[in-house]
Amino acid sequence: MAATRAGSRACEIFTALEYGPVPESHACALAWLDTQDRHLGHYVNGRWLKPEHRSSVPCQDPITGENLASCLQAQTEDVAGAVEAARTSLENWSTQPGAFRAQHLTRLAKMIQKHQRLLWTLESLVTGRAIREVRDRDVPLAQQLLQHHAVQAHTQEEALAGWEPLGVIGLILPPTFCFLEMMWRICPALAVGCTVVVLVPPASPTPLLVAQLAGELGQFPGILNVISGPASLGPVLASQPGVQKVAFCGAIEDGRALRRALAGQGPELGLALGAESLLLLMETADVDSAVEGVVDAAWSDRSPGGLRLLIQESAWDETMRRLQARMGRLRGGRGLDGAVDMGARGAAARDLAQRYVREAQSQGAQVFQAGSMPPDSPFFPPSLVSDLPPASPCTQAEVPWPLVVASPFRTAKEALAMANWTPRGGSASVWSERLGQALELAYGLQMGTVWINAHGLRDPAVPTGGCKESGSSWHGGPDGLYEYLRPSGTPTRLPYLSENLNYDTFGLAVPSTLPAGPETGLSPAPPYGLFVGGRFQAPGARSSRPIRDSQGDLHGYVAEGGAKDIRGAVEAAHQAAPGWVGKSPGARAALLWALAAALQRRESTLVSRLERHGVELKVAKAEVELSVRRLRAWGARVQAPGCTLQVAELKGPVLRLQEPLGVLAIVCPEEWPLLAFVSLLAPALAHGNTVVLVPSGACPIPALEVCQDMATLLPGGLVNVVTGDRDHLTRCLALHQDIQALWYFGSAQGSQFVEWASAGNLKPVWVNRGYPRAWDQDAEGAGPELGLRAARTKALWLPMGD
Amino acid sequence: MSAHQRGTELDLSWISKIQVNQPAVLRRAEQIQARRPVKKEWQAAWLLKAVTFIDLTTLSGDDTSSNIQRLCYKAKYPIREDLLKALNMHDKGITTAAVCVYPACVCDAVKALKAAGCDIPVASVATGFPAGQTHLKTRLEEIRLAVEDGASEIDVVINRTLVLTGQWEGSDFIKTSTGKETVNATFPVAIVMLRAIRDFFWKTGNKIGFKPAGGIRSAKDSLAWLSLIKEELGDEWLKPELFRIGASTLLADIERQIYHHVTGRYAAYHDLPMS
Repeated sequence: MAATRAGSRACEIFTALEYGPVPESHACALAWLDTQDRHLGHYVNGRWLKPEHRSSVPCQDPITGENLASCLQAQTEDVAGAVEAARTSLENWSTQPGAFRAQHLTRLAKMIQKHQRLLWTLESLVTGRAIREVRDRDVPLAQQLLQHHAVQAHTQEEALAGWEPLGVIGLILPPTFCFLEMMWRICPALAVGCTVVVLVPPASPTPLLVAQLAGELGQFPGILNVISGPASLGPVLASQPGVQKVAFCGAIEDGRALRRALAGQGPELGLALGAESLLLLMETADVDSAVEGVVDAAWSDRSPGGLRLLIQESAWDETMRRLQARMGRLRGGRGLDGAVDMGARGAAARDLAQRYVREAQSQGAQVFQAGSMPPDSPFFPPSLVSDLPPASPCTQAEVPWPLVVASPFRTAKEALAMANWTPRGGSASVWSERLGQALELAYGLQMGTVWINAHGLRDPAVPTGGCKESGSSWHGGPDGLYEYLRPSGTPTRLPYLSENLNYDTFGLAVPSTLPAGPETGLSPAPPYGLFVGGRFQAPGARSSRPIRDSQGDLHGYVAEGGAKDIRGAVEAAHQAAPGWVGKSPGARAALLWALAAALQRRESTLVSRLERHGVELKVAKAEVELSVRRLRAWGARVQAPGCTLQVAELKGPVLRLQEPLGVLAIVCPEEWPLLAFVSLLAPALAHGNTVVLVPSGACPIPALEVCQDMATLLPGGLVNVVTGDRDHLTRCLALHQDIQALWYFGSAQGSQFVEWASAGNLKPVWVNRGYPRAWDQDAEGAGPELGLRAARTKALWLPMGD
Repeated sequence: MSAHQRGTELDLSWISKIQVNQPAVLRRAEQIQARRPVKKEWQAAWLLKAVTFIDLTTLSGDDTSSNIQRLCYKAKYPIREDLLKALNMHDKGITTAAVCVYPACVCDAVKALKAAGCDIPVASVATGFPAGQTHLKTRLEEIRLAVEDGASEIDVVINRTLVLTGQWEGSDFIKTSTGKETVNATFPVAIVMLRAIRDFFWKTGNKIGFKPAGGIRSAKDSLAWLSLIKEELGDEWLKPELFRIGASTLLADIERQIYHHVTGRYAAYHDLPMS
């Protein structure tokens, strides 16, 4: 009777022409879990580790709730053991020739290819994501990443001369997308010679499988170690001896907390935060294709987060109609079904979406939901939120998966203002068939990645990252490699934590100054005041600080800057920014050279000022001469920003743009009062930043001398110099939310404070951790590191043709 | 195609407003083919449905009454009876949507279909097929003669000189291509045409049909076309009045797939009747 039943079914389907289930067998994933007796441990040094007396967490199918396996929760010893393994294998791995590492990565790529079915079924099974996306995109991309970085390793000695691997890298991953996020980061790290310890959330077996595949290559088992444990072990991982960098990927607030926790710790911190994306739709767009862009961005299991959708008012009705019609055709279901667009991501993701929708509705928003979706938990339907009042809390909050929040705008200018009116700066797409308009918007968006007429394209050769609170670390492309390199000869990073540093009071009070004895004077008298907005101004506090020469004699007062002066300086710098960014590279170079010439004319004054501070005549002359050279060198390095990247399977270029950071604050070191000041200022200006500087505290006079030339040569506000109590000024700068980056060269405590305080707006910081730097050596005083730190990357995708 | 389009005032501003981003459409075309696989019973039922959309076509210079007759018989009995029985679909009157021949063969086709006792419509390509580069007068005469001979559907080749200079014509159906070009029915082109059909429907309430022709040879291709229509236009377009597939060899492959579904074995071509 089976035939008849099948027959009646055929008739039913023939009439309704519905889609049927296309289940992908996950038998091999279960068989793999069986090899571990459904009990997963850590994978360290080429072996499974299952230490006893650990609590365990169930790994469940997010859709059926079925228990698939139990996973260990790591404890401190497990982390220490994994770091130890990575540290032991580091010496051997990092000293291999690049060509050898390239071969090893290629072997891993082949290993993944051989076991791809296991990888994609396991990943889809445990994450609930649509298998189509994992199978057709993630797994091939993982192989491409390995192959791309194998090539980078092969050419490393030549292409990355002067750089060396950082050492042991700690990687902390989010619960969703951890397999691919791991590949984006381990590939460059391993390629350049680092070894890695990955901390994955428990119940994420795919990274463990990748580690096992790598371990089964036989050689170098300790280069990739995966431990499963809570993200709260992050600081523990960071504090292990030998860990040189911690790369974190996850929620913004978690990143902020980690930034604070790691202030003063040894490792550098790379953050990639948030998951929201943006789509900007102009009336000149191919609206149907843009609607597909929305699907790619939010409803195809391709990206971890939700979407902010900005639609030009004149195209609003047309777009909403098409969008709603398209939503009706979306299919949700079990991720292992080959014909669904969206799977489910577990209860936490669902609850987050549900909360946002409820809150948006209570604030007066319209919510449209559609698509054929199983009605019960854990599924959540594709949702389109509109009419959200502009000032409601929901408009400020990050849009969660699988939501799209649409708002109208009138003009391109308004679109740009709205798009940038957010603390986040991840990725965005611009949809317009007008080339000029699209490019204008793409350049104006403060984002790490911008696609024109596409959304969500990725390639190993293209750097992906962000700015603002999305964090400033990169993966992929050349930028991804520098994340795991340091200039050769840089000392190993050790913790410099000062336990008794009180963040609440550091630099809070300014010691009051009283008349300090007879002034012996300088001739001619240096200008008095803070150099803000292109002229010397009296400080807000109306008080001064004494400057003594090397004999201890008072030879004058400089202005005592404070919070208000920093505020004024940052405002002036912001006002000067558009003009400076808009200048051609040639014009910028000319100004730097003019400043160099002016410095040369002022040589005798500068030399005498330095001499008064106990610098020998010969050394003082050399310092001035070197400063002039630095300005000339950075002037010559001002290039038209950007280069074109080659991407397989894409017609049209991807531009790697080097954009200014914005307002860059620099606290100069005490030593080399002129040279360090110029060496830091020059690359900042060359890359189009506007600057607020705090000069040497003991010897600010040479910097103020240079300000006299800047007053006549440079546009007002481009460079602002504030003298005063360094700790106090550092505090004001580090806590300022509208400064885009901060370089600090001072005490260890100051460095620690800066790292802690930067968590506010997550500005990238560069601190010297209390160590001196050889400013007179080209490697440290004018090396490529300064250029990399003075700019941020933007990847601009321009697909074209067929 | 009983209800003819009354048409609407030609408004060229609609056309000039249309924006098409080629790389984005190409991406969509790739996605549609990968995102909606249809398997097992669903595949069998969908394939039978696809049969009912086929304009079973022969457009060869050497067409004669004997192969036209064979074609017409195949149109009436597209799938082996025992296979349909196994699926319990033998009494659903599954035939192809039409047979499609040159004007000179219309007579033969009408006669053959009558003899087979069925009312499958005869479609004829006309108007200087495939280039359309003949005089308007002879083209109109060609249509008249084909209709006189009993053709009830005419595939008109529009004058592309007029199109390329912006002078459009109206129709009940639009067809991707003649099937005689080097590149014929492709997904990206179809997507653009389907979106135009939908926009026209939204503006005027008139439903225009769609017929891809040329190069659709495999059963898998036909499933992809069905899901393309379903995704871009919706189920209401999935009926012979609004969707046809112009094909000659497709039916043979569909029949083999049905054979496989029913028997679990792959058929040789000679296991199934020739068309």
